[in-house]
Amino acid sequence: MPLSEAFARGDAPASESYEDLYENAPCGYLSVGADGRVARANLTFAAWAGYQRDELAGRRFSDLLNIAGKIFFETHVAPLLRMQGFFDEFAIDLITSDGSRLPAIANARERRGADGHLRFIRLTIIRATDRRRFERNLIDARKESDHLRIALEENLRQERNNAELREQFIAVLGHDLRNPLASISGGARLMLKAKSTADAARIEAMMQTSVTRMAKMIDSVMDLARGRLGGGIPISKSVIAIEPVLDQVVAELAAAHPDKVIEVNFEIEKPIFCDGLRMAQLFSNLLANAINHGAEHHPIRVNAKANDKEFILSVANTGNPISDDTKARLFLPFCRGPDHGPAEGLGLGLYIASEIAKAHSGDLEVTSSDLETRFTFSMKSQNR
Amino acid sequence: MIFAHGFGCDQNMWRFVAPAFEADFRTILFDHVGAGQSDLSAYQAGKYATLDGYAEDVVEIGRELSLTDAVFVGHSVSAMIGILASLKAPELFESLVLVGPSARYIDDGDYVGGFSEAQIEELLSFLEENHMGWSAQMAPVIMGNPDRPDLADELTNSFCRTDPEIAKAFARVTFKSDNRADLPKVTARSLILQCSEDVIASPTVGAFVQQNIPNSRMIMLNATGHCPNLSAPDEVVSAIRAFV
Repeated sequence: MPLSEAFARGDAPASESYEDLYENAPCGYLSVGADGRVARANLTFAAWAGYQRDELAGRRFSDLLNIAGKIFFETHVAPLLRMQGFFDEFAIDLITSDGSRLPAIANARERRGADGHLRFIRLTIIRATDRRRFERNLIDARKESDHLRIALEENLRQERNNAELREQFIAVLGHDLRNPLASISGGARLMLKAKSTADAARIEAMMQTSVTRMAKMIDSVMDLARGRLGGGIPISKSVIAIEPVLDQVVAELAAAHPDKVIEVNFEIEKPIFCDGLRMAQLFSNLLANAINHGAEHHPIRVNAKANDKEFILSVANTGNPISDDTKARLFLPFCRGPDHGPAEGLGLGLYIASEIAKAHSGDLEVTSSDLETRFTFSMKSQNR
Repeated sequence: MIFAHGFGCDQNMWRFVAPAFEADFRTILFDHVGAGQSDLSAYQAGKYATLDGYAEDVVEIGRELSLTDAVFVGHSVSAMIGILASLKAPELFESLVLVGPSARYIDDGDYVGGFSEAQIEELLSFLEENHMGWSAQMAPVIMGNPDRPDLADELTNSFCRTDPEIAKAFARVTFKSDNRADLPKVTARSLILQCSEDVIASPTVGAFVQQNIPNSRMIMLNATGHCPNLSAPDEVVSAIRAFV
């Protein structure tokens, strides 16, 4: 077929004619009767749709549309045509004779007889493959940018929260470091007045306690920095007997809180492969948390189990359950309970515990109800 | 007599039908929330994610106007909304006129709804392409000034404009609904008006609705298409008149 025939059929008349302008217009013309069937189509439309012109007349117009087009035509185009007599600039997908899709843009006009009855719906159809693709891309791009914007706003909100928490944290840190420092300073002055070696030793022990408290705080801040800035808290694992490690932590905290009852139940069948110091830190943080938040005069229950399969350590206390809101932030840095008091520290304990769990490829989970709040650390047993 | 429009337009759908009943009935027309001149700020995505949300509104309108033994006329998806409303508050409606109803649009086993899941997804995506011209800035102009033709002149297709997100959500709830189990519970007297050729709700689908509603009958209209209330209002009016 010569190239020109792809655009127009038959020879052009010597001078412009309405008939030829209709048949070979640079757009498709389609007239649909009141019965919904094609009354007439021009050659351009027939060529686009892959039909001989004679094959189109009498065909149901809806058969030339895909499903989405049919529904859109019935629910949007037809009602509007009836109400305002026209409907312009709508997208529509036509189905060609070989079943492929012909994306188009259309205008439609009603034509009514003198009796007011509908004679034809006339449609002008512009083939719009590229334009429709472009519009589709626009819609997709707009959606994507909406999603991005929402994500960015969420990030920004979180970042603002973090910044606020960080400022609070620095204030708390400064405040909390000042107390032991003041007590060391007081101790130093007392030391000058010490009358005996025994007195000096007592003062020195008191000062040591304050030094230990400060050192712990500074260690926590260092762990925070490592956890946030680097690839998590560094650990060095070896095969160790875990029971003495756990016993030591219980003894330390029991000594610091003589009024608390700590019930211990260990079933340690074998040594485990872990970082003993870090595991002690994790346990100590969980236990301190339970002591600070547990109801008064109620025991803290500690369970530990180590066998061929796994190592499980849990700490439970009674008291007010943790709200869902708090639960969501529990393992984030600077998270402190809604009713936190001075005993609660920097709000890093559970964060550091969860980082230590992560570094051991383990899980730290919490369940909380009216009966008890229980933190459970679990990891698979490894030989090395 | 309360008229409820279907997916795609607003109460204008009844402009050739409702006036015929004004002499004998108190007629009530409304736009579903999200459509036409409704208060868009009342649109809650959660509530209108099921047809139940729309049915609640119909019941609320009925109670507010103290309807008893009213006739509910629902087109397309509003046929099912009316059924749900009549189940929630049977005292409101004495009879239901269901124009082009379908209890489920998507095929399911032996049940023929006329569409596949994929075709409905295609529709939802296609609808976006036909809302390119909608802009949030223009909405108040269009919505707020129905009586200002000078404004409308600047706009093509000024009827039935809808926020594209709402239109898409309404299309989703419409075409993904399944109310087959509700049909046998209907106690109101029901009339089904079925078009002889309807690509959205075929005569098979209409017959299924009729067979499953206990006290119902169906009239096959000569009209074709999905909107006989617009294309053949006289036929619709006389069918409803004979029924009520």
